[in-house]
Amino acid sequence: MMSGKEFFVNRYEKLGWKFKDIELKQAIRVNNMNIAEEEFVKRMQASGIELEKIPFLKGGYWIYKSKFSVGATPEYLLGLYSIQEAAAQIPATLFTDLKDKMVLDACAAPGGKTVQLADLMRNTGVIVALDVDKRRLTALSNHLERCNVHNTVVYKMDSRQASKLNMEFDRILLDMPCSGNFAADKEWFKRRTIKDVERNAKLQREILAETAKLLKNNGELVYATCSLEPEENELNINWAIETLNLQTEKINCYGEEAPTNIFDKQLDNSIRNCKRIWPGQTQGFFVCKLKKA
Amino acid sequence: MKPIKDFASRFDAIIKLDENLIVKKENRYFLVNENLKRAIDKDFFYAGAYLGKIRDDKFFPSFILLRMIAKEKANKIIVNEKTEWLFVCGRDVFKGGIIQIVGSKRRGDYALIINQRGECLGFGKILCNLDEEKCKVAVKNILDVGDFLRRETRQT
Repeated sequence: MMSGKEFFVNRYEKLGWKFKDIELKQAIRVNNMNIAEEEFVKRMQASGIELEKIPFLKGGYWIYKSKFSVGATPEYLLGLYSIQEAAAQIPATLFTDLKDKMVLDACAAPGGKTVQLADLMRNTGVIVALDVDKRRLTALSNHLERCNVHNTVVYKMDSRQASKLNMEFDRILLDMPCSGNFAADKEWFKRRTIKDVERNAKLQREILAETAKLLKNNGELVYATCSLEPEENELNINWAIETLNLQTEKINCYGEEAPTNIFDKQLDNSIRNCKRIWPGQTQGFFVCKLKKA
Repeated sequence: MKPIKDFASRFDAIIKLDENLIVKKENRYFLVNENLKRAIDKDFFYAGAYLGKIRDDKFFPSFILLRMIAKEKANKIIVNEKTEWLFVCGRDVFKGGIIQIVGSKRRGDYALIINQRGECLGFGKILCNLDEEKCKVAVKNILDVGDFLRRETRQT
């Protein structure tokens, strides 16, 4: 049976990680375009919310203690912060020099990373945000309005058809639809099979192949999943190196160097530039930066 | 553009927006910049700064537009922290929660509701002349930022 907890946990062990159950801490990110971080921290403390700085993120905090939901405070409603899991805050920070750039956020809804990109861009340049689900696009639009984002255009579009935009981008964020991981979904092992993983990996390759066509020379593409399965991560990036004329770039962020040998298959050595994040302080995650070779 | 200007005038405010940069998509208005204008085609879902929408001949503003008006000379009622909480929960404003009034105090006029940090929480309609002693429930809540949560509930 290619599913179940034992099956997946055995795979993780082969990749060098011993399974442990974890309790995820709720994380938030300060929207610096709307408030200075120092002022924000003081304000949250005054309203009875105790924060713990996330050491590997700028503007990221774990909720240490709160008497009420952090998704219903006036500060949240005024767009001063977003609720965003710690590892999910990493991808947008990997781009260099976002100001005034043309950015594609290819799988954007519900918009946590779109708002983060707008924040890092200080509302300059242009973000083109795509998603396919109308309900999720509405959530994205509300998120943009709440956080006072002015530099984004949203299209209801499958990113596998992104060429229809007739645009080229300096930066592309692929926060891929993926199988997820057990740390963010308590029912994950019951729900997922290797077939789901393979189906998602195929979808990711299709998105990557299509959007890579829109990357300018010297442009940067960040690929991220919250999956622990190598088919959606290292194996897909190895495929991209072999078939899409892309190369990995070294990144400096939280996480471990990705393995270059997956279940006895030797991958391109540059896969080690990617980062694999095993669940612990954050959920499971994978991230890498690609450029045209 | 007219619905937006008319809406701002309800707060005795004048808002200056470049008409060439206002884009209408079905019943919704967006303010874009030159860069965005080049990146949008007719099929966009959302663009730039959302300003509001027309429904049943009535203009419903966005919070981005309210924040823009709040930067201008306009009717504003500044409230204390307790009233801020109550207001974003959909409650009306009691006179006792008002710290300062800028502009009209007249019954029937509209005012932006602002917290002590100068942030716009929404807007309401003045229910009684604010100079009068017998005035207790001072402003009827018409729209507050708690609407973002109510939208989520409506959409699920």
